[in-house]
Amino acid sequence: MGKTVIPFGPQHPVLPEPVHLKLVMEDEVIVEAIPAIGYVHRGLEKLTETKEFTQNVYIVERICGICSVMHAQAYCQGIENLMNIQVPDRARYLRVIWAELHRIHSHLLWLGLLADAFGFESLFMQIWRNREKVMDIMEETAGGRVIISVNTVGGTRRDMTPEALRKVIAVSEEIKEDMMKLEKVFMADYTVKHRLVGVGVLDKNTAYEFGAVGPMARGSGISQDFRTTGYAAYGELDFEPVIEKDGDCYARTLVRLREIYQSVDLINQAIGKIPEGEISVPVKGFPNGEVISRVEQPRGEVLYYLKGNGTKNLDRLRVRTPTFANIPTLLKMLPGSQLADVPVLILTIDPCISCTER
Amino acid sequence: MIENAFDISKELLQIEAQDSKIKGYRFVTATCVDLGNGTFDVLYHFDKNLELKNYRVNVKKEEELTSISNIYFSAILVENEMKELFGLNITNIAIDYGGHMLLSDDDLNSPMAKQQIVIEERKGDK
Repeated sequence: MGKTVIPFGPQHPVLPEPVHLKLVMEDEVIVEAIPAIGYVHRGLEKLTETKEFTQNVYIVERICGICSVMHAQAYCQGIENLMNIQVPDRARYLRVIWAELHRIHSHLLWLGLLADAFGFESLFMQIWRNREKVMDIMEETAGGRVIISVNTVGGTRRDMTPEALRKVIAVSEEIKEDMMKLEKVFMADYTVKHRLVGVGVLDKNTAYEFGAVGPMARGSGISQDFRTTGYAAYGELDFEPVIEKDGDCYARTLVRLREIYQSVDLINQAIGKIPEGEISVPVKGFPNGEVISRVEQPRGEVLYYLKGNGTKNLDRLRVRTPTFANIPTLLKMLPGSQLADVPVLILTIDPCISCTER
Repeated sequence: MIENAFDISKELLQIEAQDSKIKGYRFVTATCVDLGNGTFDVLYHFDKNLELKNYRVNVKKEEELTSISNIYFSAILVENEMKELFGLNITNIAIDYGGHMLLSDDDLNSPMAKQQIVIEERKGDK
């Protein structure tokens, strides 16, 4: 049978950001997929070499809006490690609370986009209506809806009042209740299951071999969540990685759904244990030496390599984002799939192209 | 200092990568650092049970470095990226974009490298 090459993207209704896939087809079945990126490359790693190490927080936050808090957290933790800075306990807990709010916002965004991709517009609307509540609480507590800019080297830039903390609990519980109602649609609706169950199966061994991270890995049964290493205040909170074993689009959806509940639980735990005290310590001197800092973002583990030279500028800042790690798994999943499943398959890696290209 | 970092020669990279795969490590990423003295440090990061192991290979700018994508397919993107942005001469990448994964013909040859950009060498710039 002759082969046809179909260009998918870079502009496509299902893609919020530009990525191009060259799909080699035999009839309706994909036999090979070759990705092309580079449409939104901004050279942010190079830009950081020209800024002071304290200013870089604002650059790394802009690598990606959806996980901006965790980018700043990974960067700050790396610099703090390099400069032997002990962050106040309250700041460690505040970082967890804002990070988990961001995880909820990211997963809700993704679930809405998925519903939109398989044509369930009312479900998309209901989920994004829920997401607005997180955005509002972030605005109330940090002054911004997306890039909230709360992390700084040495702690956090903002604190939360007891009233704000109570409101965070109330809103996150409200989101949890709403999502438990909407969960029934994802778990039981015939159309949704028809589009997700058994589609894009990635078995555990392949997921590991191809370096999958985050919900991609956990949806294939790999118990890997960098929060379990206990960075920030995670070591003082009780949780287990959310795992599903089927490795298909449905499993990855369930992982993200259940991680929303996990984040609500972590927020409750963190607020229950948050101590009084300072939120930041003064930073003296300049970073010198190399360090690797890792944090679990909504899409998986992000890695920061930082190299300081004893001056205000860094020699090198390198970021490996989760989508960068998950693209090879997408290339593994696509061959053998139907053309009609490509939009959902691409979405289930939760691609963030601005992260990938930096 | 980075924990679990080992300096190896570029000839040993393939052997160590193969050994890491046999021992159950996953490939995390690679980092290229231009040392500014005509050499690059290329760090290959592997992970097992959330513990990192890092191999550091020092290569001269004109030297070849053999890709590990025949062992870890997931290295293709980062090796293409290092090849384009630093001008690192990585050979035998499983999918080699020939310098056009991120950059177009009009871009600088290796924008991340610490080098003097000679204005006449910049394509599309008068």
